Amino acid sequence: MERRELLKHLAMGTAVAAATRLSLGRGGPEALAAPAPPKAAAGDGVRWDKAPCRFCGTGCHVQVGVREGRVVAVRGDEKAEVNRGLLCVKGYHVGLALYGADRLRRPLLRKGGKLEPISWQEAIDIVARRALKDPAGFALYGSGQWTIPEGYAATKLVKAGLGHHQIEANARLCMSSAVTGFMATYGVDEPAGCYDDLDRCDVLITWGNNPAEMHPVLFSRVIDRRTRGEKVTLIDLSTRETRTSRFADRSIRFRPQTDLAIANGIANLLVLHGAHDADFVAKHCGFRAPDANGTLQGRAISFDDYKAMIAEYTPERVEQISGVPAKDIRWLAELFGRRELRITSLWCMGFNQHTRGTAINALVHGIHLLSGHFGRPGDAPTSLTGQPSACGTVREVGTLCNLLPGGHSVASAEDRKRAEEIWNVPPGRVSDKAGYHTLEMWKRFSTPAGQGGDIHTLWVQTTNPAQSLPNLHALVEPSRRLADKFLIVSDVYPTATTRIADLVLPAALWVEKNGMFGNSERRTQQWFKMVDPPGEARSDLWQLIAVAHRLLELGHQGMRDKDGRFLFSAQKDGKEVPIWDYGHFDDVNVDEMLFDEYRKFSTHHRKDLAPYGEYVKARGLRWPVVRRADGTWHETRFRFAEHEDPYVQQGKAIQFYQSYTNDDRAQIWFQPYGPPPEAPDADYPLWLCTGRVLEHWHTGTMTMRIPQLQRAMPQAYVELHRDDARRLGVQDGEVVVVETRRGRIELPAWIEGRGSPPPGTLFVPFFDERLPINELTLEASDPFSKQPDYKKCAARIRKRGGQ
Amino acid sequence: VPIASVVLTLVHDREPLRDRVLAELTRDPRIELGPASGACLPAVLDTASAAEGEALVQSLVEKEGVVFVDVVAVDFSDQAEET
Repeated sequence: MERRELLKHLAMGTAVAAATRLSLGRGGPEALAAPAPPKAAAGDGVRWDKAPCRFCGTGCHVQVGVREGRVVAVRGDEKAEVNRGLLCVKGYHVGLALYGADRLRRPLLRKGGKLEPISWQEAIDIVARRALKDPAGFALYGSGQWTIPEGYAATKLVKAGLGHHQIEANARLCMSSAVTGFMATYGVDEPAGCYDDLDRCDVLITWGNNPAEMHPVLFSRVIDRRTRGEKVTLIDLSTRETRTSRFADRSIRFRPQTDLAIANGIANLLVLHGAHDADFVAKHCGFRAPDANGTLQGRAISFDDYKAMIAEYTPERVEQISGVPAKDIRWLAELFGRRELRITSLWCMGFNQHTRGTAINALVHGIHLLSGHFGRPGDAPTSLTGQPSACGTVREVGTLCNLLPGGHSVASAEDRKRAEEIWNVPPGRVSDKAGYHTLEMWKRFSTPAGQGGDIHTLWVQTTNPAQSLPNLHALVEPSRRLADKFLIVSDVYPTATTRIADLVLPAALWVEKNGMFGNSERRTQQWFKMVDPPGEARSDLWQLIAVAHRLLELGHQGMRDKDGRFLFSAQKDGKEVPIWDYGHFDDVNVDEMLFDEYRKFSTHHRKDLAPYGEYVKARGLRWPVVRRADGTWHETRFRFAEHEDPYVQQGKAIQFYQSYTNDDRAQIWFQPYGPPPEAPDADYPLWLCTGRVLEHWHTGTMTMRIPQLQRAMPQAYVELHRDDARRLGVQDGEVVVVETRRGRIELPAWIEGRGSPPPGTLFVPFFDERLPINELTLEASDPFSKQPDYKKCAARIRKRGGQ
Repeated sequence: VPIASVVLTLVHDREPLRDRVLAELTRDPRIELGPASGACLPAVLDTASAAEGEALVQSLVEKEGVVFVDVVAVDFSDQAEET
C-alpha cells in the first residue's frame, strides 16, 4: 500500500470511530464502548502520545503524532471524556503552532536600541542581578498558559525565595471575577459542576457568552444532542448577536452592564410568586448584601431583607434599564421556577470583564441556589475559562499577589505557616503583605521610581501584555521611556511585548517540554515532552530554576531552605542533580518532583490532587481526587453533592462545606444594578466591545503563524450595524477610524458580518498585533477582583479623513 | 498531503435534502465517505493543497443539509517539514 493510501485508510478509521461515538452521544457509557480508531501501521514511523490542546480552557486532549523529531499529525483523542476524539479548527492545527518560521532561538539583549544575541549564561546572570539589586521591586508576570509546575516554581521563587508576593498572571484579566464570585457565594473557588452537565441539562443559558466560537467543542456537545432528537432549549442572553445566538431557541439582547438588573428581576419574580425552592434555601443558603466597608463577604441579611431589596426590580423596571421586554424576564423566571427542568448556565468573559464582575457572578449563582437548580447533574452555574490552565495554574497554584498554593491565602496567618512548613523555610519568610494586582503592578512599572514606581523589573513569561493589557498607552508605554525600568520577556515568537523588551529569552512551547494543565472543570492533565525546542530555546521552568540557582550563587539567602538546601533541590539515588544546568535538566522529571510537592497544599482546602503518576495514566482527573480504601484514586464530578463528593457527610444531600459562615451554607446575594464607569455620550456616542474570534487564540501570537488560520481570519476589523454604517456613509470593507478617549486606530468595517452588534454598538477582536484595540480600552476594574472591563467603553467612528 | 478525517452531521428530519447532499458528496472525487452512524457521516478529505482543503471544509460547512462539520484529525507532515 502506498503511503498516501495508508494515510487515507487510517484517516477513515479515525473518522468512522468518531462518527460512531458522536452518534451514540459523548457522555454516556455507550460512547466509551465505541470502536477505537486504527493504530498507525508499523513502519510509518509515527509515534503517538497524549497531550491537552495548547489553546483554550476547554481542555480537549489530542493525540500528537511525531516522526523524526517533528510533530507531523494531530488527531482528537478518542479516550478523552472532554472531546471524545473531536477538535475545533484551532485544535486540529495546534501542532503547526510549533513551526512558525520566526521562532525565537537565542537570548537577545537590547544594546544601543537593538536586540543582540547573548549566551544563556549571561542572560540568566542579568535576570538574577536585577532581582538581587532590589528584590522587592522585582516582579513576575505570567499566565494561565504556564504549566502547573512552571506556575508553582514561579510562585515558590517569589513567595518563598524573594520573600514577597509581586507575582501576577494575565488570568487577572480574564477570570478573577469568577474567582471572587465563587468565593463570595461558596467560600471556595471553581465550579461545582462539570461538562457532564451539558449532557444532562434540559435548558442551557449562555450569559454574555459565545461558546460556538470560543468553546466550540463544548458547544457542539449540546448541538449534537439536539441532532439526535433530544430536546435541549438554548437561550442566548447577550449584548450582540453571535454564532451562538444563531443556534438559540431564544436570543435576547440587553444593554451593556444591565445584566445585574436582569438577574435581580428573575430573582424578584421567583420570590414574589413563591416559585423559589424554599426547602433548598432553608436548608442550604444564607443571604448577603454589600456592606459599608466594601468587603467581599458583605453583611448577613434575612430572607425578608432580601425580598425587600429585590422588590424594585419589577419586569417593567428591568425592561426600562436593560431593554429586555418584561415578558422575557417573566419567561426566564418561569423557567427557573420549574423544578422538573435541569438548567445549566454558562458564562465567560461577558461576566468577568465587567466592573461589576463579582456581583453578576454572585447573582447568577444566587438564581440557581434560590430556584434549587443546583447539585443535580444538568443543574449547574458554570463559568468557563479562556486559557488552558487558568484554573490549574493561576487559580489552584495561586500565581497571584494575594494567594498561596492550593487555595491558601496570603491574608491568613495559618495558611502562611502551612506554606512555610511545606517549603521548609524559616517562620516569617512568607510575607503577610499582598503584592500588587496586575493593573497596579504595570502602573508602578510605568511610573518613575521617585514618584512611587517601585517595580523596577518585570519578568514576563507565557503572555503578551503589550497587546492584552487595557489602555496600553497608559499602562505599558511610559515604562519604555524610563531608564531604570527593565523588561524581561520569555516567549516563543516575537510579539508586541518582546519588541519593547530589554531582554528576550527564547522559550519551549507545549510538547517541547513536560507539562500539566488544569481546565475549566477542575480537570488536571499531564503530558510528556515529545520533541526538542528549536535552537537554544528552553522551558520557562528551567529558566526560573536557573535564575533561582544563580541568585543562590550570588548569595541570596532566600534561595535556601532552613536546612541550607537549594529551594529547587532535586535528588536522584541520594545525590543532588544540578537541574539548573540545562544539560542535566532532563536527568530527573522536574514536573513530577514539583507537582508532588505542590499537592501537599491541596488537601487542606479539599482540592485534593492525586500523585503525579495517576495523571500519567489518565486523560485528566477532576479534583478533589481522593484515595479510597481499596487504594484507588477517584475524581469528583459534582462538588457539594452527596452522590458524588466524598467530603459531603452522609445524609446531608448537599453540603457547602467550605462556607465562610461555617454553617455549610452558600450565600445568595443582593447586588444592585449600577451604571458603568463610562457610557456613550455626545462626544463618544457608541459602545465598544472587544473579544475573540473562532480562528485565533487571544493575541494571535501562535494562531497568526498557522497559515490555515491566518488565511481564514487575516486581520482585525470593526463590526457595526447596518443602520450606523448607513448614517455614517461607511461601506462594507471600508477602512474607518475608531476612537475612544484613550486612543484611535484604523480598521476595516464589517457590516453584519460574523457577529451582528445592535445599533449603537461596535465590536473589535483583539488578536491582531498590527491593530491593537487595547490602546483604546478602559482600565476601570471590578472593586473586588481588580479585573478590568474590556466589554464596554464609549467610542466613536468616522470615515478616514473626516472629522 | 493534506488528508483530513471529518464527521459530517447531516439533517436528520428532511430525507430528500439528506439524499441530495449525500449524492453531491459522493460525486466529489476529493471526498471518500464511510458508513453513516445515525446522522453522523464519516469522511476523508484528500486535497492537493492545504488551501484547497480549507476551501473544501468551508464549502461543507456552508452546504445546505450539513448541520455541523467536526474535523477529527489532520496530517500536515509535508507542511511541518517545509517550515
